[in-house]
Amino acid sequence: MPARYDAIVIGGGHNGLTTAAYLARARKRVLVLERRHVLGGAAVTEEVFPGFKFTVCSYVCSLLRPQVIRDLELPSHGFEVIPQESSFTPLPDGRYLYRHGHEEDAFQEIAKFSRRDAETYPRFGRLMARLAKFIAPTLTMTPPDVGSLNPAELRKLLALNKQVKTLTEDELYTFARLMTMSAADYLDEWFETDVLKAGLCSSGIIGTLLGPRSPGTAYVLMHHYMGEIDGAYRSWGYVRGGMGMVSESIASAARSYGAEIRVNAEVRQILVRDGRTVGVELASGERIEAKVVASGADPKRTFLKFLERSDLPADFVRGIENFKIEGSSGKANFALSEAPSFSALPGNGPQLQGAISIGPSVDYIEKAYDDAKYGDFSHRPFIDMCIPSTLDPTLAPPGKHIMSCFIQYAPYTLRNGRWPDRREAFAETVIDTIEEYVPNLRDIILHQQVLSPWDLEQMIGLTGGNIFHGELTPNQLFFLRPVPGWAQYRTPIKGLYLCASGAHPGGGVMGAPGYNAAREILKDWSLLRM
Amino acid sequence: MPDSFDVVIVGGGHNGLVAATYLAKARRRVLVLERRPFVGGAAVTEDLAPGFRVPTGADDAGLLRPEVVDDLNLAARGLRFLPLDPEVTAVGDHAAIRIWRDVWRTQADLMAKSPRDAEAYPRFAELMTAFATALDPLVTMTPPNVAEPSLREQMALFRRALAVRRLGKATMQQMLRVPPMPVRDFLNEWFETELLKASLAVDALVGTFQGPFSPGTAFGLIPRFSPAVRGRGRCFVKGGMGSLANALASAAKDAGVTIRTGAEVRRITSRDGRVTGVDLANGERIEAPTVASNADPKRTFLHLVDPEELSPEFLVRVRNFQTTGVVAKVSFALDHLPKFPVVGDGMPAHFRICPSLEYLERAYDDAKYGQASHAPFLEAFVPSILDPELAPSGKHVLSCVVQYAPYDLASGNWDKDREKLGDQVAGMLEEHMPGFERLVLARQVLTPRDLEDRFGLTGGHIYHGEMTLDQMLVLRPVPGWAQYRTPVEGLYLCGSGAHPGGGVTGAPGYNAARQILADTTRRAG
Repeated sequence: MPARYDAIVIGGGHNGLTTAAYLARARKRVLVLERRHVLGGAAVTEEVFPGFKFTVCSYVCSLLRPQVIRDLELPSHGFEVIPQESSFTPLPDGRYLYRHGHEEDAFQEIAKFSRRDAETYPRFGRLMARLAKFIAPTLTMTPPDVGSLNPAELRKLLALNKQVKTLTEDELYTFARLMTMSAADYLDEWFETDVLKAGLCSSGIIGTLLGPRSPGTAYVLMHHYMGEIDGAYRSWGYVRGGMGMVSESIASAARSYGAEIRVNAEVRQILVRDGRTVGVELASGERIEAKVVASGADPKRTFLKFLERSDLPADFVRGIENFKIEGSSGKANFALSEAPSFSALPGNGPQLQGAISIGPSVDYIEKAYDDAKYGDFSHRPFIDMCIPSTLDPTLAPPGKHIMSCFIQYAPYTLRNGRWPDRREAFAETVIDTIEEYVPNLRDIILHQQVLSPWDLEQMIGLTGGNIFHGELTPNQLFFLRPVPGWAQYRTPIKGLYLCASGAHPGGGVMGAPGYNAAREILKDWSLLRM
Repeated sequence: MPDSFDVVIVGGGHNGLVAATYLAKARRRVLVLERRPFVGGAAVTEDLAPGFRVPTGADDAGLLRPEVVDDLNLAARGLRFLPLDPEVTAVGDHAAIRIWRDVWRTQADLMAKSPRDAEAYPRFAELMTAFATALDPLVTMTPPNVAEPSLREQMALFRRALAVRRLGKATMQQMLRVPPMPVRDFLNEWFETELLKASLAVDALVGTFQGPFSPGTAFGLIPRFSPAVRGRGRCFVKGGMGSLANALASAAKDAGVTIRTGAEVRRITSRDGRVTGVDLANGERIEAPTVASNADPKRTFLHLVDPEELSPEFLVRVRNFQTTGVVAKVSFALDHLPKFPVVGDGMPAHFRICPSLEYLERAYDDAKYGQASHAPFLEAFVPSILDPELAPSGKHVLSCVVQYAPYDLASGNWDKDREKLGDQVAGMLEEHMPGFERLVLARQVLTPRDLEDRFGLTGGHIYHGEMTLDQMLVLRPVPGWAQYRTPVEGLYLCGSGAHPGGGVTGAPGYNAARQILADTTRRAG
């Protein structure tokens, strides 16, 4: 009996849905299987408390590939970005740094701390944006198989080399140094204002178990200038209706092309026969056949849970075991009776509409990392907050607000105790930390949802609670992601592909792994038919 | 002494002497100017107390390039290597591990700690050796010009790429994966015994302001496995490192080099972007068309060269060159050898106290915030065991690298904290060797400030600057100037601030001499 489906996508995260949409658009019969009752994976909106729609995990949108938005016509499926134009960093001494997207305003604000830094700031931004523009095309390419003597792969390397040559000598050096330097050291070369450096370098450490003084974190500074909305670099935004709308709009596109999507359908096993996948088995015992299986789960879950080790080469298994996927962050979502008022800049002003970060100095963030290095959550964590209800009233009842807090560091593996027993203490630490800046916070909290990396693993299936499906460090990027030799979305099992953040170019709400994986799957299709 | 010179070398460190000798052998008239009363720089043996001689700078001659040893005929000039075996004795809280020259002997020893680690060790050594073998030719090569690589440079790089590819696809991919990793992560993939991992990590960390959790530190594991130096292995020089300096000075003089000690260079003079010579502290002016500086890049460009000759961009880059030293040197004269219960049979000539990776990382944490480590790691040498002449009969010298002791202290200063550091190290040794402190006849503490004053090392950095990936190869000392040349025509760098960096290798001097000869021959022709 012929299979009902050409392809099964495991997991209805935004990447899995992207792969599904592209495959369906190419007239493949596609089935998406999502374990939870809602779609979206970590890009999800849930009404956790009546009237309050939490953007439970990921909270801003910037890197979603324009190709994906265009090809899948996402705006017509309800996708809309509300630009988030400023960033606000209150200081414990009552001062604050308010960086606005407009260059002149930014100048005034930074000049309050240092005129020199205010003058340097736009130059820094331009350099980062230029390098980010150079990197952007690699996001949607399939990494070369380095070391392969296949002419097609060698051609890819030559093409990359040619692309590198478009950089000036200076840019090339900067690029090499960004790859190898710490964010703190690199920013020290540019700026003298500690809070400015702290604000910039926080983007270099988000989601990673490294501190601002760890070499290699400078590279991520540039990554964060890649955000593009309508072609403008370094613009971030909220998604109207919450991040779940990214997933919902992609799902809607996929359905419009004929993809079938099932929720509450947990995959237990990937079925393999003679080194080739033949489908999946659900937790319910149901078996579904398909020629192609694309896994939106992370590499460890895909290869070590859904498959038998005996199905895979020993070297490959060792590589997957060595893949670093220790989560380092948690999430707290608050329902508030009113907008929070910061003592550094009171009132419900535009400072609440952008990014708000609790991370007043580089040492503050580094010390937060020190705690995590030895298996404890930070006693004073770095917190990246936003209050999307200030711009999108649909998310909370009138006058009330939701506040999303990304908290770092919270290592998955605690040295003392287990997360279910420490979650409360963690929540208290988070609230205590914010209260130093928002004195009446406790009075205005109506509800709270605190998610440790352990909770993220339980809830969304992220191994280790790692929001990026594995550390984004140079040894796990590009042609090395997830493991050397298997960075082209294919796996040692024929017909099985990786289509999410565990593959190039990694985590974040980009849609790029899903987009790239779909391209490779379609490329192989004719061969599979044989 | 000739009345004029083709090349003046600023500083008679081992690299300056190597460069001088190669240049003189190519018939250049060379003058070496050394500030101190003797040559050698940080390759030196000095009196700790009457009859007690210690290396106040480098301890280990294991990385000296065989090309230099052979070309300069150093063996015939009295240079004797005293090999260490075991090469390392790693000491933890209640355990010791020996790393022998022979991998299989190491494996046999490790068996008692962890059969899994014992099984892995030879494979680990094999992989490291493969990496080091493929990379080794880079050490004696001038880094390529990134902007416009010459055909020859492209060929050389292509050959390296081929050599790496010839390791096999899997090893090649590992080679691209491993160097940017934290040494901890990489060692965790291989071993379970903390003491073994910490000891291996120390090789990657000595002299650098990074901890084992810092990305990029895995790279530091590789140089020790270079086949070019592996034959000799970790070793002392008979008579102390100063004997190496003497052998190099003898080679230099035989080649016709003039060496002046007690001659401090105050300025490197230049006119219209071209070097013209040097001014000495005593007011004397020496002219020469070529000057090679063995001083570190910051000293050279921020103190010796006229700033008018350098662009603001270049100066910014030089200032950004990371040179914060983290090493202190503490040496002891001992009445006799103490007992070392955890090691057992006798005192090893080289041991390190480094119980675990976390211990190392915590030591680093203190330094990050400008404090000396509350519990530093110690890299200790007892050269008098192999070389009894360094101390009166029956007595000994013990010299320790202490890390982390950051050059810049957040509070206090090294003049005040110097003896506190000495007490701390003595206390640590006492813990492992009961009765140690009673045996101490004399003690010397060299903080990073002292290393700066004594050897002229900016920031007290023993490698003239961090050996992190962002300051290596084409990026050393600053992007665009990795070919020993400088923005001042005729001025070269020939010390550890240039590729391939610090350690007693002689490679920067060797490479710089080749570059100078290539440039001056071309000009003359």
